[in-house]
Formats: sequence, structure tokens, C-alpha cells
Amino acid sequence: MQRRYRTVPDLKSHESAQAISFENPVLACKLTSMGVLPGARIEMVRQSPFGNAYYVKVDGVRMALRWEEAASILIEV
Amino acid sequence: MTPSTAQTTDTVRKTLHLALVGNPNSGKSTVFNQLTGLRQKTGNFPGVTVDVKEGRLRFPSGQEAALTDYPGAYSLYPNSSDEKMAAAVLTNPRDAHYPDAVLYVADVTHLEKHLLLFTQILDLGLPVLLALNMADSAAAQGIKVNPAKLSERFGVPVLLVSGRTGEGMQRLIGELEKLLRASLLTPAERKPFYALTELEKQVAEAVRHNLGVTNPYQALLVAHHNAWLPFLRPADRETLAAIVQTKNFQSLRTQVDETLDRFDRFTPIVQEAVQHPPTFPSTPTDKLDEVLTHRVAGPIIFFGVMLLIFQAIFDWSDYPMSWIEHGFGSLSDWLKAVMPATWFTDLLTDGILAGLSGILVFVPQIALLFLLVTILEEVGYMARVVFMFDKTMRRFGMNGRSVVALISGGACAVPAIMSTRTIGNWQERLITIFVTPFISCSARIPVYLVLIGLAVPAVTVWGIFNAQTLVFGGLYALGVVAAFLSGWVLKKVLRTREPSYLAIELPVYRMPHWKNVWHTVWEKVLAFVLGAGKIILYVSILLWGLSRFGPGNDISNAAVSAKQEAVGQNLNEEETEDLMAQRRLEASYAGQMGRAIEPAIRPLGYDWKIGIALLTSFAAREVFTGTLAVLYQMGSAEGDITARQETKAKATLRATMKKETFRDNGRPVYTMATALSLLVFYALAMQCMSTLAVVSRETGSWKWALWQFLFMSGLAYLGAWAVYQIFS
Repeated sequence: MQRRYRTVPDLKSHESAQAISFENPVLACKLTSMGVLPGARIEMVRQSPFGNAYYVKVDGVRMALRWEEAASILIEV
Repeated sequence: MTPSTAQTTDTVRKTLHLALVGNPNSGKSTVFNQLTGLRQKTGNFPGVTVDVKEGRLRFPSGQEAALTDYPGAYSLYPNSSDEKMAAAVLTNPRDAHYPDAVLYVADVTHLEKHLLLFTQILDLGLPVLLALNMADSAAAQGIKVNPAKLSERFGVPVLLVSGRTGEGMQRLIGELEKLLRASLLTPAERKPFYALTELEKQVAEAVRHNLGVTNPYQALLVAHHNAWLPFLRPADRETLAAIVQTKNFQSLRTQVDETLDRFDRFTPIVQEAVQHPPTFPSTPTDKLDEVLTHRVAGPIIFFGVMLLIFQAIFDWSDYPMSWIEHGFGSLSDWLKAVMPATWFTDLLTDGILAGLSGILVFVPQIALLFLLVTILEEVGYMARVVFMFDKTMRRFGMNGRSVVALISGGACAVPAIMSTRTIGNWQERLITIFVTPFISCSARIPVYLVLIGLAVPAVTVWGIFNAQTLVFGGLYALGVVAAFLSGWVLKKVLRTREPSYLAIELPVYRMPHWKNVWHTVWEKVLAFVLGAGKIILYVSILLWGLSRFGPGNDISNAAVSAKQEAVGQNLNEEETEDLMAQRRLEASYAGQMGRAIEPAIRPLGYDWKIGIALLTSFAAREVFTGTLAVLYQMGSAEGDITARQETKAKATLRATMKKETFRDNGRPVYTMATALSLLVFYALAMQCMSTLAVVSRETGSWKWALWQFLFMSGLAYLGAWAVYQIFS
């Protein structure tokens, strides 16, 4: 079945998208307090050398997110 | 400006407390250092095991205030023990450190991400001053800011400052004094920034009714954090839990909703007051990160940097270390010459001075390592390391942030363990604390050097490697492997459902701010000297007592017979002294204890003399070399034995040690197997009272320190036993 939404790890390098909402309330609590908000522009910069973590820019602010964290952010299709 | 008499008497009554609060990476510490200079100290807040820096701030009027630097936090809904600090104090007006006003520092170049905590503090009803930091960067990036607009919309004074250049600091101090004065006369009356929802109002009202917390937002926070706020009594907790239950108050969901609502409210204000240039300029940070966090180049560069750092530590700290040792050596010789030969002189020279020297000799290495690590942190590189190795560390039960602690462990485990407070997940933090002492710290180096010098021939192997260097490197590697394997095992044993986070800001690369660097290095060295050092000193005095005194007249009898023996053997004065020292130690309490534990350490290839050295170095490893020197009649040449280069004393000691035999079967003690077994023992054993003390403080009980002691000692015993069995 085709997925109806994408999450941050689906972004290719240097692709960006708008965040829509969160999947996990615990992570949402942490991420929103750091300024990762619905409506924020998220750009994928690169993956970490050993995988499982992402270097992203959230409205121009550089940030590192773990896969679980990145995958909890739903983005526009 | 002269304050009126009325105000002076009013403000003299108690010390004014100012809290310095802000997000991580807001440049808060730089502002703190600018405001307080060297008038600062690290204090411990009861209830929250976090050290905070306190400094004194002098106002133009001559009045002083205490400024407390809170660990960086994003919100009053904390995710780590570091972040909990602000929430714990600011929700409790009865706390001795509850501030009279808050200085909030925000990075003006990312203001839209830095005001969540600010608006939360506004709602606590505290007088606040908003300092927009990094004015210099904003100007360079073409960002235009209107502080007056922000001041009007938030209803608090707003100032543009730069901690790096010092811009606006004098005005900041002046405004802070005005704010404090005004708030003392009339408490701040402000409309709440965030309007509580109907449910939140009910919860806050119930908390006010039961606990007497008047500020509605504060009451709400107390309800949110009822499980952990340190000032709540068990009865309060029960009441609060009941309120949360009956109102069906969903803490997590409410937190997110509140956070989003606050952002919705302040984002337009920021957009109105701050104008960014139309495009984000491409910065050198992006170019640097293309290489420094590259899939292949990134880790290679990291290991290169680590190699350089450790190389630098060994090369550069050699000179200051030998100056310190020689300095203390001469001072002690001089005191022995001018003071009467009593037990007190002995205590002063062999107990206290030896202890002090044993502490201070590590300062150059520790200072250097922390200098380099702090520079890497200040520059912004450490956040990238956390990002790159998070996955690797998690495999071993830790967190990307653990890398910093493990590297620092190469200097001293005490400050390294304190640096784990940024790890939010309790299990990951505990594992990091648990395994950090496996990393070979500076105190192990002298032991390694002596034993390697004695046991491993300085020959070239495989064409290019020096055998001694290889063994030395191997011991470091053994520590690292032991740390990671233990982490892996502990991960399997401990289970927690607590959430774990990586989410970390990767700050823009910038030149280190040297004032900050010096302050941090000074703090860490102080943590070592006062934390570890104090215990090393007490223990050296205790050890001095154990090796100076013995049961009954054993010691004086031993000395008399040694003197006769010396006369019989025609020894010169120095040799006689050394022989007497040896016999005294053998007859002392320490000597008796060495004999008592001999059966237990015999399977590792050690005799009772090594037993004495093991016992004396139980509390601090570096005592080992000194004890050996005395045991083998080389007490007067200790400095030459611990020297890194080959000396005549070393050759003599080697010859003496070669002649040592076991008491029961007459076989030689110092074989290659025994030396290797000892090295492995020292690499793995927990022989540091100071580390145990810090672990128990950071984990809140002696339980984990005890487990760590048993685990490491057990592993050391098994490892040493295996090595001895294989090589003998």
C-alpha cells in the first residue's frame, strides 16, 4: 500500500520539505522545545558516517537528529 | 548615582540573587564570564546534583548581587538532569537560591528558536531582562534588530549585547540594577503571556488550593513535574498525583500544546522586530562540515585529531611534570635537612608533601587535555563528533554525548564523569559513568612506564615498532576495549523504558573565546585538585601512617637489626638508610597486610611485597611506584625510577628486582608473566577513591560505586590471572 505521508529520513540529500506534525508525543515534546515546529522548513544535509543519524537544517538552524527522532516528524508529500 | 538611604537599608538586608538563564548555545557562559570576571566559584545545589557557577556582580552604586549561571535549557519541561536545574529552582519560591530577577540570554541570530523558555519565565511572574546576545554576529550577517519593539511587546527591558566583544555589558549591569530596584519596590504585574486552557486552569487552581502555590503557571508546572521536583514532600506528591488523575490531565500532550501555542504567540513578535537579509548567506560552516562530517573523511579526521591530542599531551607535559617532581623533591630534602628528625618531619615530607606532589604532578597533563578538548568544544567540533558516533556509542549502551566523557577520561575520570550530566537518558548516563574509569588516565602512566621499563626489553619488533611503545599502546587499547565491552554487557543487563535523545544543535564554527576556554580549564583542574586531590592527600597521609607504624616494637627492632646487617655488609650511609627503610616497611602494618593477602594474589604471580604496593595503591594508583622504590631499597632514588628515560637507578632497581624470589619455592618473582599480569591489573582495576566518591555523588548512592568497584576489580583479577597463566 502506498504510504500517505513521508517523514524526514525519506528526504534526499539537500532536499527540503515542510514539517506537518509529529508521530510520537514524547519526541514531539523534545523537538518542539528546540524549535522544530509544524510548518518549519526542514532540509536534509547528510547522513552520519555510520548511519542512523541525520544532519538537518530546521529553518536554517543546523541540528543532528537520530533516526527515531527524524522519523517522528511527518512532512508534506 | 547614589542610592537613597531608604533603598540602601532596604537592599542591604539580604543578598540579591540573579539567575542567568538561556538555551544551550546562547553564549550564556561568555556573558557570565564578562559580568563576573574571576569572581566566580562552582557551587552545588542541594536536591539537584548539578554543579552551578556562581559569581558576584558589582553594580555602579557599589552594591553587589550573586549571579547564578544555570545550565542551558530549552524549556521548563526538562529532558536531562542539567536542564532540570532551572525547573527545580524556579518553581520553588522558598528555595534559598530563588532569584530576585532573571537575566535571560538569547542568540539574536536565531531569536525565533530562543524565546520559549523566556516566555515561560515571564509567566512565573519573575522580573526579567532579555539580553539579545551575539550582536556582533547579527551585524556581520546583516540582521537588523529593534530591541525597543521587543521591549514594548514583552513588557520587559531588552538590550542588545555581545559577550564576545563586551558590547553593551556596562549598560546591561546598569539596567539589571534598575530592574532589581524596581522589583523590590513594586512586584512585577504582568498579563500572562500564555493563556492557560480551561483544564490547566482547573489543575492550577487545585494545586493552589492544596499546596498554596499562588502563581497559576508555577502551580501548573508543579503538577506537571510532581514525580521528580526535589522540594515536594511525599504527601504533596500524593496530592498532586491525585489531582492529575481526577482531572485526567495528560501531561505530555498539554506540554506540546503549550509549547506550540507559545511559539505561535512570539514568532510574529520576533518577525516584527528582527529583519533577516533575504537569503541565508552560504557560510564557511557548511563547507567545513562537508569534510568534517563526511562519511569517510569525518571519522578519519576525528581519529587523527585524537592521536595528535594524546601525542601532544605526552610530549608537552613532560617538562612541567619533572619540574614539579624535582621542586617537591628538593623542598622535602631541604626540610629533612633543617628540621629535627621526628615523626612530624616524616609526616610533613613523606606524608603531606609526597601527597601534594602526587596530586600536582598530574595537573599539566590534565590541564592540557582539557585545554584541547575545550577548544574543540568551543569551536563547535564536539557536537559533530556526537553526531558522527551516536550510532556506534548506542551499540554499546551509551549516547553520542558519551564520547566527550570517554576522551576526558584519558586525563582524569573525576571531571569526565561530571561531564555526563548532559546525557538525558539515565541508563546511558549510568553506563558512561560506569565504563569511563576503564580509559587509562594520567595516574596510570607512571605505573605503566615503570613496569614496562622493567619488564619489556626496548627492542624493535616487526621491523619498525619499539616493543615498549607497543605494550604501552596495547594497555590503552585494553582500557578502551574493556570500556566498550562492559558497556555492551551492561546494556544487556540494565533495562529502562526512559526515552533517549540525540537531538542536538550543531553550532556555527567560530574561533574559541579564550576567556571561556581558560575558565573551563581552570574549573576542571580545580575539580581534579579539590575532588580527586583531597582524597589522594588524605590517603597518602593514611598510607604514611600504615607504613610508618607497626604492631608493638616490630619497627624499631627491624631497624636495629637492619643497622647491624648494614654494618656486617659494609654498606655506605645511603645504602644503610635504604635497607633500614625497607625493613621498617616490611615490619609495618602495611607490610603485615601485604603478607596477609599473599595467598589471594599468588595465583596472579605476585608476592607479598607486590601485595603491599597493591594495597597502598588501592586508593590512588600512582602510589605504586613510590612503594616499590622503598621496598627495593631505592627510596632515595625514587625520582630517577619514575623518570621516563633510562636511568642508572632503573637499571639498579631492575637488577634488584630480578633477584627477588618467592618465599616458599625460591622461584624468581619478576618474570615477564608477573609484569604483564600487573600491567593488566592496573589497566582494569578500580583503584581510585576519588572516582568512587564522584560516582556515588553523581548517581545519588553508594550502590553504583560499589558495583563499579566490584566489577572492575573482579575483571582486573580475572584478566591478570589469565595473563599470568598464559605467559608463565
